[in-house]
Amino acid sequence: MKPSHEKVDILIIGSGAAGSLMAAKLSKTGKNVILLEAGPERGLNDLVSSQIQARRLKWSGDPVEETGSQPIGNVFNSGYGTGGSALHHYAVWPRLHEEDFKVKTLYGRALDWPINYDDLRPYYDKIQEEVGISGDHTTEVWRPKGMPYPLPPVPAFQQSEVIAQGFRKLGKTISPLPLALNSRDYNGRPGCLWDGWCDAGCPTKALANPLARYLPEAIKQGCKIIHHATVTRILTDKSGKKAIGALYHNKDGMKITQRASMVILAANAIQNPTLLLNSAEGGLANSSGLLGSYIMNHAAALVYGLFTPETEPYMGATGGQMLNQDSYDNKDKRKAGFGSYQWMIAQAIKPNDLLGFGGSNPGLYGKKLTEFMTDAAQHFGTMTGCVEDLPLEENRVTLSTNKNKYGMASAKVHHTSHKDSYALWQGAKQEGLEIFKAAEARQAWNGPLGPMHIMGGTVMGDRAKNSITNSYGQCHDIDNLFIAGAGLFPTSGGVNPTFTVHAVTLRSADYITQNWSSIT
Amino acid sequence: MQVSRRKFSLGCGALTLSFLVQSEFKLLTPENAKAQNIPFQNLTQDQALLIDILGDAIVPGANAAGLSHFIDHQLSANDKDNLLILRYLRVNPPFNDFYLSALTACETAIEKRYNKKITDLSEAELSEFIPLIMQNNPEGWLNAPPAAFFYFVLRSDAIDVTYGTRAGFDTLDIPYMAHIEPPRNLGIKS
Ligand SMILES: Cc1cc2nc3c(=O)[nH]c(=O)nc-3n(C[C@H](O)[C@H](O)[C@H](O)COP(=O)(O)OP(=O)(O)OC[C@H]3O[C@@H](n4cnc5c(N)ncnc54)[C@H](O)[C@@H]3O)c2cc1C
Ligand code: SF4
Repeated sequence: MKPSHEKVDILIIGSGAAGSLMAAKLSKTGKNVILLEAGPERGLNDLVSSQIQARRLKWSGDPVEETGSQPIGNVFNSGYGTGGSALHHYAVWPRLHEEDFKVKTLYGRALDWPINYDDLRPYYDKIQEEVGISGDHTTEVWRPKGMPYPLPPVPAFQQSEVIAQGFRKLGKTISPLPLALNSRDYNGRPGCLWDGWCDAGCPTKALANPLARYLPEAIKQGCKIIHHATVTRILTDKSGKKAIGALYHNKDGMKITQRASMVILAANAIQNPTLLLNSAEGGLANSSGLLGSYIMNHAAALVYGLFTPETEPYMGATGGQMLNQDSYDNKDKRKAGFGSYQWMIAQAIKPNDLLGFGGSNPGLYGKKLTEFMTDAAQHFGTMTGCVEDLPLEENRVTLSTNKNKYGMASAKVHHTSHKDSYALWQGAKQEGLEIFKAAEARQAWNGPLGPMHIMGGTVMGDRAKNSITNSYGQCHDIDNLFIAGAGLFPTSGGVNPTFTVHAVTLRSADYITQNWSSIT
Repeated sequence: MQVSRRKFSLGCGALTLSFLVQSEFKLLTPENAKAQNIPFQNLTQDQALLIDILGDAIVPGANAAGLSHFIDHQLSANDKDNLLILRYLRVNPPFNDFYLSALTACETAIEKRYNKKITDLSEAELSEFIPLIMQNNPEGWLNAPPAAFFYFVLRSDAIDVTYGTRAGFDTLDIPYMAHIEPPRNLGIKS
């Protein structure tokens, strides 16, 4: 007989951005909540300031097979263990724009969300108050309606001042980058020290990662978190229309049944569909046949430059200092391609690692590399375009023929950018070089297409025919099975996803609380 | 000096490798491991030499920083704690096959072109060889990952050991500003 734990009200799978917020909000209502996390337990003390040591925070669950011309970069783009990817995310938190929710209606392409910006607006406002976002709503002229930021904007160091000149010369607008980190002490969490170690995980709690914000709250309210608990199957009753819990394997490989009145899948955009595909012939909650489809990845348009003045490129937060969204609204008005993008300007940068300045110019070696490193340490500048990726049905998660030691098939993910998204990325790169030239960069060059932020795969929609869940993440086919996270997004917009992940999750948590008895 | 075994342990939240040296465990930086001639566990002496010579020609300073000891150490690390850049580059662990096959291909390609071992190449020959592997697989480069990919990986590892530590930041005159100080030894214990 398999061991099984006492039935709980709510079982959440995954302790990242969505799982920890769900756990905090639902445990507050007095519900008995258990959180299963596949990866190891991590505390703030594990967040060692080193780009090399930071690699331990990355995905190390089942290897994901990647195909397509622009593969998703799963290991770099996913975390594992307490806090998931969000533990070492960079906290760039802009809102989606009104247009992003209605791309099909407005432009006859891609998909619509089943909600509008106005449906999410109060949740964005509430989350920013709880989390503490630093920004300036007056200079962020592109920002959709919403409450002013609760914290003053992040400071501009030399690097952003130097690059800003290029934007100004070309008549473009710039504003402080909205960051979910504290420009000064806020709600018991300290202000940022501008040392650029966010990618290694911020141990001071200045940055709103799950360990700093929602997980401690959830645990205080009685939520139990079990680590090294790899869920391999969602369980349903005989009808297949009601979730009754999940099967997981613990650290010793023991198979355990956890029963629950409600199951919430928050295991990231790739693992959520992988689990559902493993849970029933043809996939659970898959009457649409679209489970796993519409995987999206923002294309990073990387721009690098060397400048004559000193830029202090090591100062600031990893996410950057300034924002430009001149190429956001009116998706059909771009010079090349279709969609929206934003510039995140002046990331604090280290010498090494994939995003370090040492890697920015891989053709340099020997003496020339040494000279470059010395020069770049004081004069480097960089910015990243976050470029929209249109959803395509064929960009999808399917099951690999490889199985893990528990017999669960691992994920295979295909991703090739839509030709108009690719053209948009090329146009953005070109614009980036023009801006750096206008900023009087001595040299300016681009990096290759970098995939960032994984979205889609279990998209929300208004009908069971065209989507997996409704706007609350509730599966159309199974009332008491919810999905949370960026996997729900029908379109990616051209902004980082995690603020929206929080707003959507908070809305779902409210819905679950208000409709508990009818749902279960 | 006799090294009878080594083990991984966790200290200060960081992966550390310990060598048992004359029945005592000691922490070592990769450069100290190199200076003390700590025996390799995965690489042959020739492979380690190739890594150090080629790595140093690509990233000057990598040899002294202990590049071959870092790579050798990480080839024994468990998958989840592995610190090699390769884990970001869509290659699944274990990484031994990748490095060992590329090193063999590289040795063969050098022999085919120059009829010598890497240790005997002149500076001019080495500087001619690097751009070759950056672009194509040179003659003799067989049964291995593409040469250009290996160049990128070795260059990134070399930048890690040379510049990714506090000592490396100091060379570049960049303040390290650690919240939690990483082990100086990149995790290598002796
Ligand atoms: C380097 C980096 C920088 C980023 N920067 C930004 C940024 O600046 N702004 C922004 O908006 N976004 C950023 N992101 C993206 C952001 O981290 C994600 O959007 C967000 O974390 C998604 O939340 P999630 O809860 O869906 O998934 P995650 O946070 O990834 O959490 C999922 C959790 O589920 C666990 N899990 C997976 N499978 C199982 C299973 N079978 N059983 C049990 N548990 C399982 C995983 O181990 C993981 O802990 C960044 C991401 C990375 C990697
Ligand atoms: S720069 Fe700020 S947010 Fe980033 S790690 Fe340092 S203190 Fe934390």
